[in-house]
Amino acid sequence: MLDKLLILLFTITVISSHAQTCELTVFGKVLDKQTKKPIEFASVYVEELTKGTVSNVEGEFEINHLCSGEYHLVVSHIGCETQKIFFQLSADTTWTVYVEHSNQLLNEVTVEDHFQESQSQEVEVIGVKEMNRQLSKSLGQTLENISGVAAIKNGNGVAKPVVHGLYGNRLTILNNGIAQSGQQWGVDHAPEIDPLLANRITVVKGVGAVEFMGNSLGSVILVEPKKIDKDPHLHGNARYFFSSNGLSNGINFELQQYHKWVAWKVNGTLKKSGDTNTPDYFLTNTGVEEYNFSAELEKQITSKWSANLYYSSFNTQIGILRGSHIGNLTDLRSAFSANQPFFTQENFSYNIQNPRQEVSHQLLKASSKYLFSEQAWVEVVYAKQINNRKEFDVRRGGRNDKPALSLDQESDFFETKFHYYFQNEWHLKTGVQVNRVNNVNVPETGILPLVPNYLSNERGGFLIVAKSFDKLKLEMGARVEEENRKVASISNTVPREILNFDNTYLNYTASAGVQYAWNEQFSMNYNVGLAARNPEVNEMYSNGLHQGVSGIEEGDINLNTERAIKNTLSFATKKKEKLFAEVLLYHQYIQDYIYLQAQDEFRLTIRGAFPLFKYEQTDAQIYGLDLVTKYQINELWLTELNYSFIRGNEIDNGVSLINLPSNSILSTTSWQLPQIKSLKNVELQMLHRYVFEQRNITADQDFVAPPEGYYLLGFRASSEKQFKSIRLEGHLGVENALNARYRDYLNRQRYFADELGRNFTVGLVVGF
Amino acid sequence: MKSKLLYAFIAMALFACKDDDGNEPITPVIPNEEEVITTVRYTLTPSGGGAAAVFQFQDIDGDGGNAPIITSDSLDSNVTYTGSLEFFNELETPADTITKEVLEEGDEHQVFFQVTSGDFVISYADVDKNGNPLGLSTTFESNTMGGSLTVILRHEPDKAAAGVSGGDITNAGGETDIEVGFPVNVR
Repeated sequence: MLDKLLILLFTITVISSHAQTCELTVFGKVLDKQTKKPIEFASVYVEELTKGTVSNVEGEFEINHLCSGEYHLVVSHIGCETQKIFFQLSADTTWTVYVEHSNQLLNEVTVEDHFQESQSQEVEVIGVKEMNRQLSKSLGQTLENISGVAAIKNGNGVAKPVVHGLYGNRLTILNNGIAQSGQQWGVDHAPEIDPLLANRITVVKGVGAVEFMGNSLGSVILVEPKKIDKDPHLHGNARYFFSSNGLSNGINFELQQYHKWVAWKVNGTLKKSGDTNTPDYFLTNTGVEEYNFSAELEKQITSKWSANLYYSSFNTQIGILRGSHIGNLTDLRSAFSANQPFFTQENFSYNIQNPRQEVSHQLLKASSKYLFSEQAWVEVVYAKQINNRKEFDVRRGGRNDKPALSLDQESDFFETKFHYYFQNEWHLKTGVQVNRVNNVNVPETGILPLVPNYLSNERGGFLIVAKSFDKLKLEMGARVEEENRKVASISNTVPREILNFDNTYLNYTASAGVQYAWNEQFSMNYNVGLAARNPEVNEMYSNGLHQGVSGIEEGDINLNTERAIKNTLSFATKKKEKLFAEVLLYHQYIQDYIYLQAQDEFRLTIRGAFPLFKYEQTDAQIYGLDLVTKYQINELWLTELNYSFIRGNEIDNGVSLINLPSNSILSTTSWQLPQIKSLKNVELQMLHRYVFEQRNITADQDFVAPPEGYYLLGFRASSEKQFKSIRLEGHLGVENALNARYRDYLNRQRYFADELGRNFTVGLVVGF
Repeated sequence: MKSKLLYAFIAMALFACKDDDGNEPITPVIPNEEEVITTVRYTLTPSGGGAAAVFQFQDIDGDGGNAPIITSDSLDSNVTYTGSLEFFNELETPADTITKEVLEEGDEHQVFFQVTSGDFVISYADVDKNGNPLGLSTTFESNTMGGSLTVILRHEPDKAAAGVSGGDITNAGGETDIEVGFPVNVR
């Protein structure tokens, strides 16, 4: 669904040109893009005059006595990101402001229609407004409230998004258009992306990502910074955020200017949090530090040719709960039965000690676009990524400063894409991509590496065609991709020796989609896709004790590529501007699904006996349902209900797949008022979240049974205020208001500790 | 102009495809696995003199790989032995002694002896710098019944917790560096 409110601002008609210096008028009309019906209560404000107005029942507004000159017009509407539009006035002008109430009611946020990808696949968007409500959250946590999306965690500091049950290297995350390249195979490796460097996160609950290189089995998460506004003045904003649980503080700033020589934007985040706490005790050593930076330059070289340079740097240090560091199965069992984790301290601390992770990720992207015409353009992209990951364990003999895992990964990516819009609504997109990944273990650990060194060369190409008819949209795409992976690993028998492997994979993937709207009230969307994922290095070459999960993991060098067929079918209905409901059904069949199978065997080591797990393949299926409903009760009250249901099992024996999210319900009730005195867009929300117990896991599939279901209550309040050209936005929130004790199935630290207790949050945004 | 640019893009694409310099992964450096414990040896010497009994657990290639080899021995009944516990890393040549490291960080380590079956009494004969038991040296009294013994080395245990200094592991916490079992025969 297009979860967005699109303001199109372009129909400017010059009415009269005999302008007196200060007697110009801007007339405007705010209309719904689809129904062409007027929008009432949209706030319109001219910064330079510090005056504004609100659109009337007819959607009309009028601003008089304007001198010719340059102005910034601020348009806002409840529940949406506020937009600032720069214009030059030299005559009376009429603006028609189209506001798109897309499928969902008055929800998110976008102004530019630059999202051309995946027109027929299911899409959900998190915009700036929603991000401002949860400024202190990581990428994985930010997405948790989306139906069909969950997060797999290793404590609160490490969260990986899960879409339709898939995560890690089955899910592609695009950071500013570039597939994130790092150690995605690890359940305890969060994506190295700062959501605050972006302005928009899109989750494509897709069936096949033919446009993108890599391993996605369907779904894609796009994290995108907004384009630099075409405004010649310096603008920016600063954001401050605080969370009481963990005494987390952070700031983020952004500055930008569309200068006549070159447009530029910079963004930076600093964040520090200490030990978080459950209702009963501190989670010792769960602090997080982060410092991130990005810079972007954009140059319109000629009217047809533009170039863009983007750099971002993400740096974090994450403490891992001290009590979750265990030596063997006995330790794990005694941790289950302990009232609180071992090593729990009485007092709060910002200290981060071992076990901890130090991760940095840098992205440099250079792109250039040439327009042959309005309908055809070519874009060339080069991107380099450098990912460094160091993990420090509690070690003996003064070795705590030596990382136990130290991996450097460099990747180089090159892409050429061509778009062509034919007449009669045909759209064609095609491109070629090459990617090279060089993964190296830094020899400083004194430990046999978990994953080997490897060099991967990928090349691929794709073609997508789309055609729109009156009520029907069709889209088809295909991709071919070849990967060669050369591996150099170390044997785990003595004498140690170097083992070399060389594998080549060739994959064909495809997807097709159809969208049909019977009328304004009822539409459907069907997609089918064929996707493939090559076995990852950890699945092939792991061999030895994975201490953190108390198991011996054995890879299999003969694993095949996973191949999947996914179908999604959704129905959406919209009753006037009152009710919106969408149900999405999905089913994915995965041939040769790779998973860790517990063996009926214990392996004796010097730390005791450990259960043996082997990477095996089976045919599996994952299916589920995402439900999204919204009901605007009246002008003040809005209620929303999201429900996610998911199941997955092996085809042969019906055994459930592990690490699938629990079913969940999220209900949000909002009270919204466009204006109270000088406060604009006042909103109060109450959130109820219920997560069901994961009942499909049998006793022999895990060390302990999945935790019980839990209920969380939350509140949020937000408002905005305009002072001349400065805009203030404030957010307050309470999470887990009832201070519930609970554990979550997808958090690996559920073996050791409860989840976080009550948390008060504050967010402040100052924009100019 | 238009076609020149197009050619430039195509040329760049082809150039990128022909990138095959250094087409081998970086050869990994075989690490110096100095921290690995391959061998646990518990030597029991009769206090009144005589041949020592040696119990050994040896996993020469570390975790995974080949299975460890456990060597057992027999004790005389009703004899008091002096127990000496040693740890080695035989991946290194000459075999590195881990015992020294554990001794130096005695306050962060404690060995626990669990009699899983049989009738033995084991007591600590050494202390760390804080005066808490360590367990590299022990006194071992045999009785008439054989059985089995588990030796556990804990890193960063809470030595102040109830029962820990008496050798009870229940409240010790920390993480296990070693947990090996030996059958013990009594003649």
